[in-house]
Amino acid sequence: MELQASYIQIVALALFTIGLAVTLTRRNVFFVLMGIELALNAVNLSLIGFAKTLPAAASVAGQILPLFTIAVAAAEACVGLAMIILIFKSQESVDIDNYSNMKG
Amino acid sequence: MIPLWLIPLFPLVGTIVLAIIALSSSDSKQGPAESITGAVAVLFPILSFLSVVTLSVGMPVEGIRGTIGTWIDTAAIQVNIGFLFDGLSRVMLLFITGIGSLIAIYSVGYMHKDRSFARFFAYINLFLFSMTILVLGDSLLLTFLGWEGVGLCSYLLIGFWHTDLKNTKAGNKAFIVNRVGDVGFLLGMLCLVSIGGSALLSYDALNAWLLNALSLGSISNAMPLLSLAGLLFFFGCTGKSAQIPLLTWLPDAMAGPTPVSALIHAATMVTSGVYLLARLSNLFVLIPAVLNIVLFVGLLTAFWAAIAGLFQNGIKKVLAYSTISQLGYMFMAAGVAAFDVSIFHVFTHAFFKAALFLGAGAVIHSLTGEQDMRRMGGLLKKMPLTSLVMIFGFLAIIGFPGFAGFWSKDLILERLYVSGPMGPYVYAIALLTAVITAVYMGRLIIMTFFGKYRGSKENEAHIHEAPATMLIPMLILSVGSAFAGFLWAGLIPGADFFREMLAPVVGAAQAYAELGHTAAHLSPWIFAGLGTLAALIGIAIAWFLFMRPVPEAKGGSEPQGFGASWTFAFDKLHEWIGVIPTKVIAWFLDVVLNNIILAAQWLIGGIIEILGDGVRAFQVRKVRLQAAFSLIGMALITILVLIYGGLL
Repeated sequence: MELQASYIQIVALALFTIGLAVTLTRRNVFFVLMGIELALNAVNLSLIGFAKTLPAAASVAGQILPLFTIAVAAAEACVGLAMIILIFKSQESVDIDNYSNMKG
Repeated sequence: MIPLWLIPLFPLVGTIVLAIIALSSSDSKQGPAESITGAVAVLFPILSFLSVVTLSVGMPVEGIRGTIGTWIDTAAIQVNIGFLFDGLSRVMLLFITGIGSLIAIYSVGYMHKDRSFARFFAYINLFLFSMTILVLGDSLLLTFLGWEGVGLCSYLLIGFWHTDLKNTKAGNKAFIVNRVGDVGFLLGMLCLVSIGGSALLSYDALNAWLLNALSLGSISNAMPLLSLAGLLFFFGCTGKSAQIPLLTWLPDAMAGPTPVSALIHAATMVTSGVYLLARLSNLFVLIPAVLNIVLFVGLLTAFWAAIAGLFQNGIKKVLAYSTISQLGYMFMAAGVAAFDVSIFHVFTHAFFKAALFLGAGAVIHSLTGEQDMRRMGGLLKKMPLTSLVMIFGFLAIIGFPGFAGFWSKDLILERLYVSGPMGPYVYAIALLTAVITAVYMGRLIIMTFFGKYRGSKENEAHIHEAPATMLIPMLILSVGSAFAGFLWAGLIPGADFFREMLAPVVGAAQAYAELGHTAAHLSPWIFAGLGTLAALIGIAIAWFLFMRPVPEAKGGSEPQGFGASWTFAFDKLHEWIGVIPTKVIAWFLDVVLNNIILAAQWLIGGIIEILGDGVRAFQVRKVRLQAAFSLIGMALITILVLIYGGLL
C-alpha cells in the first residue's frame, strides 16, 4: 500500500501542534526553542507531502526547498542558542517569563 | 560647422568659473584681482558672440537644428533639448551676445572697486546663458527654462547691492510680478498640450500642426483653446515685457547697477515677450481677437508710459518709462501682425536704449551715484563724448531722420495706419506718443547736459569723462544707434535686408494675416514726413518748456516700491487685485483652516490614545501568553479568510 499524501499532512499537523503546544506551555526557554524547531520541521514535512502530489519534474523543486529551509534553520538555531546563552548569563534564569523585563 | 550648443555653453562656463572665483575669495577683504576676473568675464560672452557670428555667416535659409539629448521622457510628455537657429533667433542672438559683450566690457569700468566684482559678472554670464537658451530653444519648454532663468538673473541683479533694503524690495517686486506673468506662460503651454499632446510644445511641430489643421478645416474645433493659449502667452509676455497690467516692476528695477539696466531691463530681457509673439506668429495670426488685444494693450502702454516719463526726475526712471513706451510700440506692431517690424524695432531699440543707459551710467558714475536730474545740468562741456553718445541715442529714440529709431518707428507707424479700419486712429495716438517721447527725452537731455550745473560742489570737482573701458562700448553703441536702421530703410529701395532675414520665420504668418484686407496705399514719404514732424515738434516743446531754471530738488529718486508715484494707480490695482486677496487667503489659511486642521488632528489623536489605553490592557508581561494571543489572532484571520474566500 502506497503512502497517501493526506497521511503525511496529518503527521505534519500533529507535529506542528505538538511544537506549538510545547512553545506556548513550557516555561523553560530551551523547550520553547525546541518547540519552534519542531513546528518549523513540521512545515517542511508538509511541504514535501504536497510536493509528492505533483508530477515528477515539478516535484523536485518542492523537495529541494526544504533542504534550504533546514540549512537556514540550522543557522537560525545557532544564533538563537547563542542569544539564549547570553541572556541566561545576564538573567541567571531559563524561565521565559522572567525575560519580560527586556521590553524597551 | 560648429555645434549650436557652444553658444549657451560659453556663458555657462563663464558663470561657473566666476562663481568659483567669487566663492573662493569670499573670505578675503580685497576681493579677487579685477584684471583676471574682468578678463574672464568679458572673454566668454565674446566667445559666444563669435560663435554666433560664425554660425550666422553660413546659415541656410531654413535654419540649423540640433538636438543634444532627451530632457523629459515620460508617458505624458516628451521633450528634447533641441536648439533652433533660424532667421529670428539669429537676429536676437547677434544683438544679445554682441551688446552683452559690449556691456560686459563697460561693466569692468563701471563696477571698478566694487567688492562683489566677481559675483556681478557671474550673474551677467548666467543671464547671457539663460537668454541664449530662451531664444535658441526649439520648444516652448526650453524657452520657458530661459524665461525663468532671465527672471532669476533680473531679480539677483536688481537686488545686487543687497545691503540696501530698498534694492532688495525692488528685486522682490520684479520677481513676484514676473511670476504672475509666468503662470500665464505655463498655463498657455498646458493649453497647447491639451490640444495636441506634448509634441505641440516644439515650434516646428506646432507650425506643422497648425498648417495641417488649417488645410483640413479642423482648426475651428481647437479655436477656443488656441485663443485661450494665445491670450495666456500674451499675459506671460506682459509680465516679462512690462506691459499693462504687469508693468510696475520695471521702473523700480532701476535700483540695479546701470549696466544691468542697460542689458537686462532695456536691450534684451524685456524684449523676450516680443520674441515670443514673433516665434508664435503662426498661432497668433489665426486668432485676430487676441492680436487686437495685443494692439490695444501696446497702444495703451506706450501712451501711458510716455506720459509717466514726463514726470520722472531720476535719469534712469525716465529711461525706464521710455523703455516701457518703446516696448508698447513693439507690441503694437505685433498686434497688427507686423512681426518682422516689431523685431526690427527690438533690434534698433537695443542699440539706442543701451547707448542711452550706458551714457546715463557714465553720468551717474562721474557724479558718484547722483541719479536725480534736478542736480545735474551743464554736463555738455565737461563730458563731451558721453553727451555725444546720449544725443545720438536721443535722436534715435525720437525718430530723427536717418537714425535707427526713425526707420523702425516709421515702419511701425506705417503698418499701424494700413492695418484696417481702426488703423488711422491707432496711428494718430501712436504719432502723438512719438511727440511725447521727443518731449520727455528732450527734457532728459536738456536737464542733464544743458543749462547750469545744479549739483553739489564736491561732486562738481571731479566730474570727468568715463574711462576707456566704458567709453569704447558706448561709442560703438552710439554708432549702432545711428546706422543700425539702414538694415531696413523703408524709403531706400532694396534696403530691406532685415525683412528678408526674418521672412522664412514670420513671412507666412504675415501673408496669412494680410489676406482679405486691401491696404490703402499711401506714399511712405508721407509717413516719414509726419514722423519727422512729430520728432521736431516734440523737441521744440521740450525746448520751450524745459530750457529754464529747474526747481530745487525735493525728495530722492530711489525705488519707491508699491508707493511709486505716477503709475496711474497700477500699483494700487495690483494691491487690490493681487496683494490684498493673497493676504486674505493667507490669513484664512493661517488662522481658520490651520486651526480646523489642528482640531481634527487633536481629535483623531485623542481617540487613538484612548483606544490605545484600552488595548494596552492586553499587553500583560507574559511572553507565552502574548504568543498565544497572536496565534489566536492568526487563527481567527485564517478562519475568516476561509469563510469569506478573501472577499471581505
